[in-house]
Amino acid sequence: MPKTDERTDLRGAVSLDRPWITIVWDDPVNLMSYVSYVFRSYFGVSAEEAERLMLQVHNNGKAVVATGNREAMERHVEAMHGYGLWATLAKADS
Amino acid sequence: MMQFMQAGEAAGSVTAQFEPVEVGLLRLASSQLIALLEAAETHALGTSGDPALRRLLPDAYTDDPDAAAEFRRFTADDLLERKVRNARCVLATLGEEPLGEVSDEPDDAALLAAAAAEQPVTIDLDADDVQSWLRTLTDLRLTLAERLEIGPDGVPRLGDDEAPVLYDIYDWFGMVQESLVYAIDI
Repeated sequence: MPKTDERTDLRGAVSLDRPWITIVWDDPVNLMSYVSYVFRSYFGVSAEEAERLMLQVHNNGKAVVATGNREAMERHVEAMHGYGLWATLAKADS
Repeated sequence: MMQFMQAGEAAGSVTAQFEPVEVGLLRLASSQLIALLEAAETHALGTSGDPALRRLLPDAYTDDPDAAAEFRRFTADDLLERKVRNARCVLATLGEEPLGEVSDEPDDAALLAAAAAEQPVTIDLDADDVQSWLRTLTDLRLTLAERLEIGPDGVPRLGDDEAPVLYDIYDWFGMVQESLVYAIDI
């Protein structure tokens, strides 16, 4: 019987778990034009998609701007904080 | 201030003219921001501390204080350092001269010099400078918003004598930022 590395298995189980999401929250300070610009320049989305996400933040109070593994979402959140946007990460559906 | 316009051949370069008083205001605000950031003790940002700093470095996890503290431990110093670097870049693009000494008894020569200095100042920014400006203007607005007690509706709660002036400055920083976004993003 082949040996398995329990830690690897565990890590595999974790990554197969629900993915993580990056959430950007509405704040009264950041201008709509700037938020839209940040989405375009950092995430490389089209002007239309950036506008859609920005309006979602503005109208719904928040928007999911990225999905993926935890490390990647932490990098996104740190980048958003660098831009001065209010961002958090969480497990999807939590 | 005139709107920022694209400048020259270099991609992402912009230029605008500022009144000397506006340059002075940006210098003063950027210097104060640097002082605030450099005095920050990142390890103390957890649950207490300056609300402005907490907004500049918000919790990355809303429902997991341990994970939020861990994230802060790994990112806060870097983020603060970058914010300081951005503000220093803004200062550098505003010219090297320190703020003029305020004299109690201005002599004629000083008054003449002040009058001569009232010419608009041309500010040229390359693509990297623009990034520092955008971020520093955001940090300045976030800091001022805490001071003005701006609520979720965008209305300032602060009612003291300083509030109208602070709000004008807050508003003006937003105008400068929007002008930059439009200038680089055609």
